[in-house]
Amino acid sequence: MLEKIYDMTAIGAFIDNPGYLLMLLIAFVLLYLGIVKKYEPLLLIPIGFGVLLANFPGADLGVVAGDKIELGLDENGRMQYMNLFEIAHEYGIFNFLYYALIKTGLLPPLIFLGVGAMTDFGPMLRNLKLALFGGAAQFGIFTVLLIAMASGAFSLQEAASLAIIGGADGPTAIYTTLKLAPQLLGPIAIAAYSYMALVPVIIPLVVKLLCSEKELKINMKQQDKLFPPKHQIKNMRAVKIIFPIVLGVVVIILVPSSGPLLGMLLLGNLLKEIGTDTQRLTTAATEYIMNPATIILGLCVGATMTADVFLDIKTIGIIVGGFFAFALSVASGICLVKLFNLFAKKKINPLCGATGLSAVPMASRVANEISTKYDPQNHVLQYCMSSNVSGVIGSAVAAGVLITFCI
Amino acid sequence: MADALFLMLVGMLTVFVVLILVVLLGNGIIIFINKFFPEEQVATKPSAAAAPAINANVYSAICSAVSTVTGGKGNVTDVKKL
Repeated sequence: MLEKIYDMTAIGAFIDNPGYLLMLLIAFVLLYLGIVKKYEPLLLIPIGFGVLLANFPGADLGVVAGDKIELGLDENGRMQYMNLFEIAHEYGIFNFLYYALIKTGLLPPLIFLGVGAMTDFGPMLRNLKLALFGGAAQFGIFTVLLIAMASGAFSLQEAASLAIIGGADGPTAIYTTLKLAPQLLGPIAIAAYSYMALVPVIIPLVVKLLCSEKELKINMKQQDKLFPPKHQIKNMRAVKIIFPIVLGVVVIILVPSSGPLLGMLLLGNLLKEIGTDTQRLTTAATEYIMNPATIILGLCVGATMTADVFLDIKTIGIIVGGFFAFALSVASGICLVKLFNLFAKKKINPLCGATGLSAVPMASRVANEISTKYDPQNHVLQYCMSSNVSGVIGSAVAAGVLITFCI
Repeated sequence: MADALFLMLVGMLTVFVVLILVVLLGNGIIIFINKFFPEEQVATKPSAAAAPAINANVYSAICSAVSTVTGGKGNVTDVKKL
């Protein structure tokens, strides 16, 4: 009798495989970071809870590997898969949600729709030249790709998925990993969101290493007075409406694989800029679509992190490599600004390069805090937002390039 | 390794080409809008106090001047004779 009760519980499985306990500990750490430390709580809490649920032996809430839903080749040599009803019946509701909404790549673009509806291109349009520094920040992505390949521990697809963490964009990292190395989805999503949460630590650290006090005191408003911009925008609303349409057409022609992410971002932005005529759609994008999408994405990404998948040497490589990708992205943005300042009359505060990451608007807020620490009158927020927003475009384009060449 | 180097080259080049296009397109759109649609349709509601005190044509002229000088950002809330 007691033996039957013992068998019913998960206690025996925990004793047989202590890896489950370690995963529960990781889940508690993620929940602690989200709830107490308030690090990206909107994502770390669903992800942490997903990890928790996926690692109760016998509950069968973990997402199974892709080969488990394969049925074999048909007469034309094409792989056949279980349908969604069979997946739900065989492996439970988390697998149904994962294979229907995430593995298909649906949720990251839907989240980008909401992100677009909350993004303001105004600061970038007022300081267009600064948008170029959002490109320098993508250097971290490709450098870590190179290092990961040189280490020999990762395949090209895995290295590209690891490297995209440097873009500091959660949905982009998840979308790229789903396309290239879905087996690494859990650790890459965790690393991406953890480092995004650590932007207030990483940016000041890199800035302190690379920038002098004199450089950080460069006052952008004074520079604007000394060297005023060529074009004053006379009708910002019209510019903001036309910009996402024209940009979408041109960029998606150049890099079609960036279309799902960039297209939805720009659609969301267009809906916002049109204003009252599309207010209901903007509200739907930012609330009714984005919020459930975020919950399901976080929960299912967490549920992919079962002990057998997560407790692997590659996870350590992802955590370390992700940090380097992040730090290098910040550093390369700063270095490009320094290079620019060597030749230009109009000097730019290097913090505008440090914010080439996609972590909008946190990176800009952190940069503004740094600049006002050195000079309380020197507010660089609006200038940093230019490279920050262009960083979103840059990382989506970088993801498109990686998907095109690595798939 | 050669693949990674190739990707780095193509990737960075593509990112910068796209961002240069963003700058050029942005400037192009700004020039186009400034030339053909320079004025933002700002809904300037005459305030209850201002409207009766002053001729409607003069009030419109002041609104238009303020809008032009401030690039559409300014808004007339009150007009008083000094």
